Amino acid sequence: MRCTLLCSLVTVLIVAGPLHAGVVNPDISVVGQPSLGFTDDSQVPDAKRVRLDVGETEMMFDSYLNPYARGIFILSLADGQLDLEEGYFTILRGLPGGLNLKGGKYRVGFGKLNSAHPHANPFAEPFHVLRTYLPGDESFNETGLSLSERLPAPGDMSLTATVDWLQGDTFRRERAVTEASIAAGDPRDTYASGPDRSGETRPAVVGRISGFTMVGERSGLEFGVSATQGTNNVAAKALTRVYGADVKAKLWNSAQSYLVLQGELLKLDREDAFWDSGTKVYVKNKVSPMGGYVFADYNFATRYNAGASFESYQSDNADKVWNKAVGLFAGFALMEETTAIRADWSHFMPGTPAESDGHTKAVNTFTIRVIYSMGPHKAHQF
Amino acid sequence: MNLNTEICSGRRTPGRSSVGLGLLLISLSAVLPIRPAIASAKLRIAASITDLASIASAVGGDQVECFSIARPTADVHHVEVLPSYMVRVSRADVYLKVGMQLDQWADQIIDGSRNDHLVIVDCSRDISALEKPTGQVNASMGDVHPNGNPHYWLDPRNGAIVATEVAEALGKVDPAHAADYQSRAEAFTKQVDSEMTKGKGIISTLPSNVVITYHSSWVYLASAFGLEIAGTAEPIPGIPPTAKHLQDLVDLIKQRKVGLFLQEPYFSDDAGQFLSRQTGLRVIKESPSCDTEAAGSYLSHIDQLLQLMAAPAGDAGGR
Repeated sequence: MRCTLLCSLVTVLIVAGPLHAGVVNPDISVVGQPSLGFTDDSQVPDAKRVRLDVGETEMMFDSYLNPYARGIFILSLADGQLDLEEGYFTILRGLPGGLNLKGGKYRVGFGKLNSAHPHANPFAEPFHVLRTYLPGDESFNETGLSLSERLPAPGDMSLTATVDWLQGDTFRRERAVTEASIAAGDPRDTYASGPDRSGETRPAVVGRISGFTMVGERSGLEFGVSATQGTNNVAAKALTRVYGADVKAKLWNSAQSYLVLQGELLKLDREDAFWDSGTKVYVKNKVSPMGGYVFADYNFATRYNAGASFESYQSDNADKVWNKAVGLFAGFALMEETTAIRADWSHFMPGTPAESDGHTKAVNTFTIRVIYSMGPHKAHQF
Repeated sequence: MNLNTEICSGRRTPGRSSVGLGLLLISLSAVLPIRPAIASAKLRIAASITDLASIASAVGGDQVECFSIARPTADVHHVEVLPSYMVRVSRADVYLKVGMQLDQWADQIIDGSRNDHLVIVDCSRDISALEKPTGQVNASMGDVHPNGNPHYWLDPRNGAIVATEVAEALGKVDPAHAADYQSRAEAFTKQVDSEMTKGKGIISTLPSNVVITYHSSWVYLASAFGLEIAGTAEPIPGIPPTAKHLQDLVDLIKQRKVGLFLQEPYFSDDAGQFLSRQTGLRVIKESPSCDTEAAGSYLSHIDQLLQLMAAPAGDAGGR
């Protein structure tokens, strides 16, 4: 599938090139991010050894499709696997009332960080609370349609409402199923013929309202609330809901330096379905943890930055223990993101479950990344 | 076997919620016009920089309201795409771009404005570009502009060309006042001619017409008024000065008897201070853009720049 996708894309570009060279060729950018890392996490196979990693390589193709729409494809190459990370169109103008419509596969606009690509962040790893609460393995990334409208607001304040209708694949949660449980009547029948309804997807929905206001001549403040709901087990009709509130402030204190303060608060409400072999019905247990993160990033002398982060969140299980993490990071960018070096240390302190022996092992991770990119560099979005 | 047996009661599927919310948004779009009713009949003109807005004010007179996105002291290469800028442009009728890939951020602001009625004018259309690279252009040449040096507004003669383009664009949007815009553009061109004569006279009083600049932003000013730019503090565009390069500049300054160092306020002062200590060079720290969008601001700014350059030592400027 991936090979077919890449071949198709390359074919289109080759054909388009000689026909209308310089007119229809998209902007092509490539971002590499090799890294050098070290962790004492005993769960990782190469713990306590310095690891060199080529990291994820992203290839971006974007262009106006016509005066009314833009298209973008982002291919991701990691661990030898080529994947379509994002591929969507956006209708920018021509819809009634200033509506914007986006459709395809994209990083969902829940909160502030999820929609951004990790290489744009000043820290190496995404926050644990986002990876734990939001659907999806590495990010909340879905196929769907997104409709947004700018709402009336005083002065130059921007207020936008967005609603997404998603395929819902990332909400699906695997249940532990064995041959014995199937023999006992677990309807998740992977060994016999018949539909596996627990593996089906149901459409999911995301809603977000975000606002932005200038602070002084150059600084700005953005805030937002987000909510999402999807089905994690169709057969059991088990739902996952996540609610979030986010805020970001960018405060300039000179022509060449500014401070970014950013944070999110999230609450997860998830029904975890279990099959009761005795009563032969699904039983749902609800987990409702909450957590959040904050970070501060000071950028100075145009090219340097240094910052710190903190997160605290409850585990998404019955224990609901509090896990914490702190981090320090710093970076230097020669010419914007054409070449940037970023160093990162994170200290993760998992919580102690009640039934454990009371010992939790904190994990330290050090990372040095080089972000390098070729191709057109877009302007910085707030 | 009923695969749907469950203990908890059924719930509405997410699909219905999303359709409902989508319908609500579409309904809202019908009653929430993206462009609120214009209180006056004035054309609203957005511009990437204050200079273009000032020229538009001169051409448009009382028929226009102008604002700019980049602040006068901002580095126009890097302007952050803020939602508030998109809101302001959503209310505009015309957008004046610098072009020549200087204000690429403007495209994202224009797209985000969701303004179907916006007329976009590339003010570089009729400009004869200086420093247009020949041969292959790539990133090893630094922050180079493939279509030539884009800081063309610093030559008032280009300002007159822009005024003519703006008059033409405004005349298409507002045909009733096309003749007014045309006559104001011609009046502006006459003002430019006066400023050119006056400016050359000011520069002729300088003990040396050889200058050093921080970035290659000032070539059009130099071309207009007979200055010679002997070098730049940046060894390659976009790369900060190195110690060796600064030492080379010290030798050059002494050899060519360079009198002035021009730099923008958003660059570090270190290079200018070093060169001044080593050679007695006078540092002038000024923005390439005028202060406001008002009609006379653009030519006043050019005049102020030249006066500052000709002022006695001790008037180092700074904004």
